[in-house]
Amino acid sequence: MIEVTHLNKTFRQLTPKNGPFQTVRMLFSRDYVYKQAVRDISFHIDAGEFVGYIGPNGAGKSTTIKMMCGILHPTSGTVRIAGESPHQSRRNVTRRLGVLFGQRTNLWWDLPVRDSFDIIAAMYSIDGAQQQSRLGELTELLELAEFMDTPVRKLSLGQRMRADIAAALLHDPEVLFLDEPTIGLDISAKRSIRGLLARLNRELGKTILLTTHDMDDIEQLCSRVIVINHGQLGFDGTTEALRQRIGLPTVIHLTYRSLVEVAELPSPLLTLVGREDNRLSVSCNREELRPMEALRLLECFGPIEDVRMEEPNFEDVIEQLY
Amino acid sequence: MLFLTLARKTYIRNLQFRASHLIQNLASAIFGFIYISIWTGIGESRSLGEYGLAGMISYVAFNQCCLWVSGFPTNGLGMEASVRSGQIAMDLMRPVHLFYHLMSKEWGQIAYQFVYKFIPIYALYLWVLPLQRPASVSAAAATLLALAISGYIAICLHYLIGAAALWTTESTWLVYVNYAFSMLLSGFLIPIEWLPGPLAWISAYSFYPYLHYVPTRIYLGMSTVDLVAGGLLWCAALTLLCLLATRLMRHRVEVQGG
Amino acid sequence: MSWLRMYRILVLASIRSRMQYRFNFWFSTIMSALVNAVEFLMLAVVLLRFDHIQGWTIVECGYLYAILTLSRAIYRSIASDVHHLERYLLSGDLDKLLLRPVPILLALMTQNFNLRFGELLQGGAILVLCMAELMRQGQIGWTAIAPTLLAIGGGAVLLYAIGLISATTGFWLTRTSVLQNFTEDAAKTAAQYPMSIYPGWLQGILTGVIPIAFANYLPALYILKGEASPLVLAGSWAVALALTGLGLLFWRTGVSRYHSTGS
Repeated sequence: MIEVTHLNKTFRQLTPKNGPFQTVRMLFSRDYVYKQAVRDISFHIDAGEFVGYIGPNGAGKSTTIKMMCGILHPTSGTVRIAGESPHQSRRNVTRRLGVLFGQRTNLWWDLPVRDSFDIIAAMYSIDGAQQQSRLGELTELLELAEFMDTPVRKLSLGQRMRADIAAALLHDPEVLFLDEPTIGLDISAKRSIRGLLARLNRELGKTILLTTHDMDDIEQLCSRVIVINHGQLGFDGTTEALRQRIGLPTVIHLTYRSLVEVAELPSPLLTLVGREDNRLSVSCNREELRPMEALRLLECFGPIEDVRMEEPNFEDVIEQLY
Repeated sequence: MLFLTLARKTYIRNLQFRASHLIQNLASAIFGFIYISIWTGIGESRSLGEYGLAGMISYVAFNQCCLWVSGFPTNGLGMEASVRSGQIAMDLMRPVHLFYHLMSKEWGQIAYQFVYKFIPIYALYLWVLPLQRPASVSAAAATLLALAISGYIAICLHYLIGAAALWTTESTWLVYVNYAFSMLLSGFLIPIEWLPGPLAWISAYSFYPYLHYVPTRIYLGMSTVDLVAGGLLWCAALTLLCLLATRLMRHRVEVQGG
Repeated sequence: MSWLRMYRILVLASIRSRMQYRFNFWFSTIMSALVNAVEFLMLAVVLLRFDHIQGWTIVECGYLYAILTLSRAIYRSIASDVHHLERYLLSGDLDKLLLRPVPILLALMTQNFNLRFGELLQGGAILVLCMAELMRQGQIGWTAIAPTLLAIGGGAVLLYAIGLISATTGFWLTRTSVLQNFTEDAAKTAAQYPMSIYPGWLQGILTGVIPIAFANYLPALYILKGEASPLVLAGSWAVALALTGLGLLFWRTGVSRYHSTGS
């Protein structure tokens, strides 16, 4: 369904000149610096897959997605969505795509939600009867009835997100690109959006590519994960394999009753993170060493007064893959 | 001194845009040129009273420069945004009176516009047009006084317009209405003695002539400095209105909660 | 055609959402009508005292002003956000328009559809009053109505083309408002008054570089004064369409630059 082959994207950026008369000098000669945002990325996604696409900020995620949507044209390499190139047949490809950018809305800000749907239906040439039935389904699925006639600017974030999802699905696209759809939502809203996305994938067979910083999204929805970092593909495999690769790193913060001397850690499975007076921080992989075991081993330095465990930062976890 | 601090902050804040402002001066100069052309067109076949064609060219050109002193203060002195965000409640509570506070900031804006818009356009007109120079140093000084008065009146007007934002969401319209009246009644394009009856009457009893007509007449040496006397009275009256408006605003905020 | 269907929905939706605030709607329409007429009223006040300007009477000037206002109101109602392209480039919102299966220019034009009732009302009122007076004076007859409508339509297309070209520079310069100050604001102000009052070089610019003279002045020379041949109307439309064609090509270049640089 989605075929990305040797995708490259290099941006040319103006470097500002320094020194006097810089604005005028820039009119006459310009210095450029070339920044490669995406480096030889290839992957293949079959119809009906639910893939997570993750990476730290600035890794090239949004650049890749923009190239898959036809917004950006690659410097080299190809993208094929259902066999067509988004950059050569933009309008055809966008008919099969539903795209949702979590932070931005696809709706008309001042108009009631219903009007936005009408305009979108006209844009995609969805005829009246089809529009009615799709809208009926989506209204029920997403519980839109209560705010169908409210202007978009008056909706809460959760409501707007649901309306945006409906807008993205109105033309029944086969492929969905979702960029941080759960950002900013409260727990129950997140849960209901996740349930909806899972249903769209399982019951309606939609191919979904999800970018997110929320590992719970990945855990609960994606069967496959692609990791990108520094513009290159870092990992492409099942969620299970990813979990095994990164393990379950945990940082344990201990406070001892009295000053501790730490010459050497009691196990090679523990790594020193920090030490100060009577406090000690170590990290370990929960798959390899259970926290209770680790605590027992760490009692060798003296009686422990307080323990705190911390899940590491997502970015750090991804960085670890290299 | 607080006045200088506030004024200077606004002035400095504007400096980062001076490149594009200087280019836009060209557009403003063209607008003035259009209005001048209207008079050269009319002057072809009609006599232009005590002004003559040369006088009218100078009249319109100087008015276009004056526009940057009294015509474009910050809309409502920024109060509409302040009301929307609720900031107005805090501003009203400060130990500094809101009017003094906003007025000081606005003087910085007017000072900036004087330096980076009035002066360049004035210089350009001196160069390319037969624009009259001031008759004497005292005439120049009197003109500056009249300009200062026009700036102050504009500040007061916008303060009142901005204050209205506490009662209605449509206060931007008051800005446009004020602009419309100013264009018609302040002697911008046509000296007020040539306005048709009813308009001339309204204009004479309003503060509008002090925005354009008075400074320009003094500049051209056609009126003496005592013409500003009326302007000073208006300054006093408008200041009182602004103080009153502030009282009402405070009351409203206390009752409504901003 | 889905385009027409889209526009119909947009017009209705825009009217409906404005009508919700009935007082606000009428109030702002009337305010807008009055305020937009100021530039003409300034000239009218002058002409009340001086009768005519280079042979153009107050009603003829009103006609000139009104057809330009109507052309502009039509252009800005249909394609308001083309003028505001700068906003989209700065915020990155242009991307979401590229996700629609319609030409991006059309998507941009439909974004902020906003019927300019005030300007249409005021332009229409002035036009009707002036034409009625001109007919009463015998200067024009009923035969002037069709050419006038043609001129208004041509003017709208011409202003659109000028606006499109000015906005397209945004793909290279990002900030377009300075340029638009000249090509749209200054040019429009100049065209509101009879062009013969300007020195030769300015008339040349307004006919050859920013050909706004074709929007109202040249048609009026024919319709009101018989000083130009009827071909001038065809000429106006030709210039408008040619400039639009140029604008569209330029736009295409701008969009493909956007596709490769992303901003």
